[in-house]
Amino acid sequence: MAIAERTAGTVSIPVVNVRPGWAGWLSTTDHKRIGIMYLVSAFVFFLIGGIEALLMRIQLGVPDNTFLTPDVYNQLFTMHGTTMIFLGLMPLNVGLGNYLVPLMIGARDMAFPRLNALSIWLFIFGGLMLYVSFFVGGAPNVGWFAYAPLTQKQYSPTAGVDYWIIGIGLTGVASIAGALNFIVTILNMRAPGMTLNRMPLFVWMQLVVAFILIFAFPVLTVATIQLLFDRHFGTRFFLPNLGGDVVLWQHLFWFFGHPEVYILILPTMGIISEVLPTFSRKPIFGYAFVAYSGVAIGFLGFLVWAHHMFAVGLGPLANAFFGAASFLVAVPTGVKIFNWLATMWQGSLNLTTAMHYAIGFISMFIIGGISGVTLASPPINVQQTDSYYVVAHMHYVLFGGAIQGIFAGIFYWFPKMTGRMLDERLGKWQFWLMLISFNLTFFPMHLSGNAGMPRRIYTYEADMGWNLWNLISTTGSLLLAVAFLLFLWNVVTSIRRGPIAPADPWDGATLEWAVSSPPPVYNFAVTPRVRSRRPLWDQKYPHLREINSGHGMSGAHNESEKRDGFEHETSPAMEPIHLPSPTYAPLIVSVGIMILGFGIIYLSDFGLIAASAMIVGLLIMAFGILSWVRISHVDSPHHAH
Amino acid sequence: MRILPGTLLRATILIALLVILTACSAGPGDTYDPYGDNARRIYELLIPIWWMALGVFIVVEGLLIYAIWRFRRRPGSTAMPAQVHGNMQVEILWTIAPAIIVLVIAVLTFRTQAENAVMPEDALRIKAIGHQWWFEFQYPGLGAEGKPLVTASDMYIPVGRPVTVVLESQDVIHNFWVPKLAGKTYMIPGKTNFLTFTAEQPGIYRAVCAEFCGEAHALMRFRVIAVDEAEFERWIDQKKTPPAAPVGTLTVNGLTGDAARGQAIFLDARKQCIACHVVEGTNARGLIGPNLTYYGSRQTIAAGVLPYSPENLARWLREAPKLKPGNLMSRVLTPQWIRANLSDQEIADLVAYLDSMKVSVALPPER
Amino acid sequence: MSESSMTRPPTAAAHHTSLGVDNRKLGVWTFIGSETMFFATLITTYFVFAPVNRARPDFQDPRKFLDIELTTVLASILLASSLTMVLALSASRRGDRRSFTTWLLATVGLGLAFIGGQVYEFNHLYHEGLTLSSSLFGTTFFVLTGFHGAHVAVGVIWLLSVFFKVRAYPDSPENAMDVEIAGLYWHFVDLVWVAIFVLVYLI
Repeated sequence: MAIAERTAGTVSIPVVNVRPGWAGWLSTTDHKRIGIMYLVSAFVFFLIGGIEALLMRIQLGVPDNTFLTPDVYNQLFTMHGTTMIFLGLMPLNVGLGNYLVPLMIGARDMAFPRLNALSIWLFIFGGLMLYVSFFVGGAPNVGWFAYAPLTQKQYSPTAGVDYWIIGIGLTGVASIAGALNFIVTILNMRAPGMTLNRMPLFVWMQLVVAFILIFAFPVLTVATIQLLFDRHFGTRFFLPNLGGDVVLWQHLFWFFGHPEVYILILPTMGIISEVLPTFSRKPIFGYAFVAYSGVAIGFLGFLVWAHHMFAVGLGPLANAFFGAASFLVAVPTGVKIFNWLATMWQGSLNLTTAMHYAIGFISMFIIGGISGVTLASPPINVQQTDSYYVVAHMHYVLFGGAIQGIFAGIFYWFPKMTGRMLDERLGKWQFWLMLISFNLTFFPMHLSGNAGMPRRIYTYEADMGWNLWNLISTTGSLLLAVAFLLFLWNVVTSIRRGPIAPADPWDGATLEWAVSSPPPVYNFAVTPRVRSRRPLWDQKYPHLREINSGHGMSGAHNESEKRDGFEHETSPAMEPIHLPSPTYAPLIVSVGIMILGFGIIYLSDFGLIAASAMIVGLLIMAFGILSWVRISHVDSPHHAH
Repeated sequence: MRILPGTLLRATILIALLVILTACSAGPGDTYDPYGDNARRIYELLIPIWWMALGVFIVVEGLLIYAIWRFRRRPGSTAMPAQVHGNMQVEILWTIAPAIIVLVIAVLTFRTQAENAVMPEDALRIKAIGHQWWFEFQYPGLGAEGKPLVTASDMYIPVGRPVTVVLESQDVIHNFWVPKLAGKTYMIPGKTNFLTFTAEQPGIYRAVCAEFCGEAHALMRFRVIAVDEAEFERWIDQKKTPPAAPVGTLTVNGLTGDAARGQAIFLDARKQCIACHVVEGTNARGLIGPNLTYYGSRQTIAAGVLPYSPENLARWLREAPKLKPGNLMSRVLTPQWIRANLSDQEIADLVAYLDSMKVSVALPPER
Repeated sequence: MSESSMTRPPTAAAHHTSLGVDNRKLGVWTFIGSETMFFATLITTYFVFAPVNRARPDFQDPRKFLDIELTTVLASILLASSLTMVLALSASRRGDRRSFTTWLLATVGLGLAFIGGQVYEFNHLYHEGLTLSSSLFGTTFFVLTGFHGAHVAVGVIWLLSVFFKVRAYPDSPENAMDVEIAGLYWHFVDLVWVAIFVLVYLI
């Protein structure tokens, strides 16, 4: 029984102005549609990144292989890393957040719907620009952390690095705009009664990630701008023979790069913290500890960047500091894992596919966490860094962790987003195939790494003792591809023929399950009033209310709040619902920025043409901004007055 | 379908078997098979941490598997479990427990770090310079007339005596890694790094560049050849004396090369060799490529692309662009250029010349 | 970039928000947080390279190139523009259209004067031999001050567009907020200049 339907009779349902067909998607400002666009485009990029990985694994399957040339291999690993991080994992998390955060906090949209549309378009165009490089002289071939001075024009003369800079730049602007939107939405758009301490943990983690992003990304932006100036406009930030400092690039990059890891993993920890309680039929154990350990991880993330640089020769003191800070990360991470275990403890575990993935997340993330401890130790690190051990470690964190977390989220929320259930049986087949093939692919990399195999090599000698491990890895990666095909099949068939999803298929406790599946455009006909962390359970299980809001850890509640858990604001029931109009303005602005980006890349080589392109881009951008300002003026609730 | 404890168990056993397997077969780059003090101390630090990690792994995965099995929902069950929100005591407990573990690891870590950072005064200093894509080694003051002794791709060191490698780079960032002797240290343009280690056993140790440095990064290898002190002195003495005038012939691929003729070709400016290479005692003074003095004693060709043999050397001269894509020499020695300027007979002569320059050192075993 | 909280019913003074702060204002504060990191990184880079510059054969001495008098004037111009911005905001809240127009256009004018001064300074330095590629000082100085100048230019455009949008009813809550958030950004850009002036020009 959906709340919105039940109460729809008492409110004025807005006239929803959605353009039909493709136009509706291109002009949308609806957070749910934008969320789906994020998920779909990120998944496409994710599959491309996966194909790149497969090609590399085929090359490495046997020693002295000649399947790929070294230059193609180098382009592939650069694009694989860049794609998975900037165009795959990050936007998958952003997509889930976009769709769910407003629903979970009882809001009708993000705080800035048009800015949200700008983010998705800049992200898509940034990704496309990166991939254009394949067709105009070669993709970037310098690794995803692009160490100077290899990235300088002298050593990397193709435009690949320039496309990397501009592509990352566009997605970076998209991310900063998106993070700003999340911060304002979460801090300011919560339904009455939804205090910070009652927010779903997924929302908490999205908030932490948004803050990390706001502070980490500008540093990368500056570093890439400096690199761009070095390559084209005669500066010498990273040119050592002219006094430039190549280690500075590493500091700037990893000051962004390490927090970036938490940008990727924290939202999925939030997903786990939603899925586990639902399918254990229990509240999360130690809510405050799970939330604040996420904050602690985010904070520590800014103090550990140099553990990526232990072999750089920063000196024993610096290494000791960054090693100690990195060890500290184990504490809040351990706290999270133990609280998840305690959530399951004495629960009634419903082992759905989503729950399989949530448990899979815990079991694999532990391995990634443990291998991280040895990497945090400077002496051990200098043996393991730049070897396949690091490749194993990061994939246990980002694949065994983040990707399994995202799958938990997709199987959990797919019914909400599409109104159809995914095939659970097929989902579990996919889970087991993925778990096994994931371990086949990545576990041997610990061993080949410790047996001396450096990362980013396109070939190796037959007598190094790495042949078996590489063959197993390659076999595993082919099986992984099958697991992803199963998922695609599941999605395609379920969207068409899957069972119709009820509003609340999993007996959920948070607000998104209070509305129909998929939710109406306006989300909530009436703004809900929240009295505890489990508003929907308060309504479904009134006898549990006392227990639910009691217990010292859940924050102070007064007596009247304890009586009813979740109800609708009754007085302004007749409030008109105001939704933003669809508009092409964000799309137009993004197109302008992209053309400007192309101009910048070729400015120093084809001055006149590139400069004209830049002017055209700026004009398109200006036109977009003008129509943006006009529509936001018309849309303004004050306009009528 | 449920999560079967049996499947996880079987996976765990499989993983354990793999670990045991690898422990039994130490390859030439195995960090678990240390022959140097630096690498040994790291290995000895790793072992207790490895056991702690295994303990944590077993406890957490065990609890997880037990919870899945014990608390799984039985079919038809509608029971509502007790709604527990948390418990301050256990929270404190499992905040402190990992903190204690990492504190122990930190103390062990800093001890090892301090030991590995020691740079003894009497250590032998060797300068290692990274190039795209080969390693140059300079022994300050050990060459003729107090000049540095310069070589490439094979780094000879004495056993049992600390060696401090002074690390620099000519172009991009490289990473100096001899897995069995010491951890990695970057070679950074515009910065000088130091790495000290002592080889504990004579041996030929595989080594690589571990930081991605461009197209042929995968083919940037070298060997560290640790010999006892007397043998090392003997190597220095021979190496610092310029090679004698080449004599003799060598049959390569059915062609008889003449060493003296080969030297003439080598020193002929039209054949381009001396534009980049040095051979001590001749007018070959090129400073771009590796120093080729006593090339006949190299372990490998082109920084580890091929094992050294006259046949492979002839192949390298003919097929440099194919064997090591992107390398600088292949920009000159293109197939067209070779056809026009270097006959098979001339290549055989060149090979005979380069192969004739040998130092006599009793080589230790491959490790 | 003018967004508003569309999903909430219009209330008399401000929109209802959880923190009681206008969405756009919170957004601009967040943006300023991000921009702070941007300029902090650029300024850090400048300081990392200052001693390296000094030790190099192509050393160019900042003291010899930087004209303190000119930049003191520029700094005063920007500081004065912060004052006129405050006056413009208070005029808009009072609904005093005439003094709002005066003060806001004065702010724009001072911003343009600053940009003009910077163009003059860059041109002068260029002719003295200081360029992006002449030394580490040139590299770091131009990139830092150039990006600040670009921010001032964006601020001028922002202020102008706000002016044309709100001049008819500067005191409606929505329009007063437009002025306020443009002002927030403007003050931030001024503050960055104070930091650059003190750290780069004076020290």
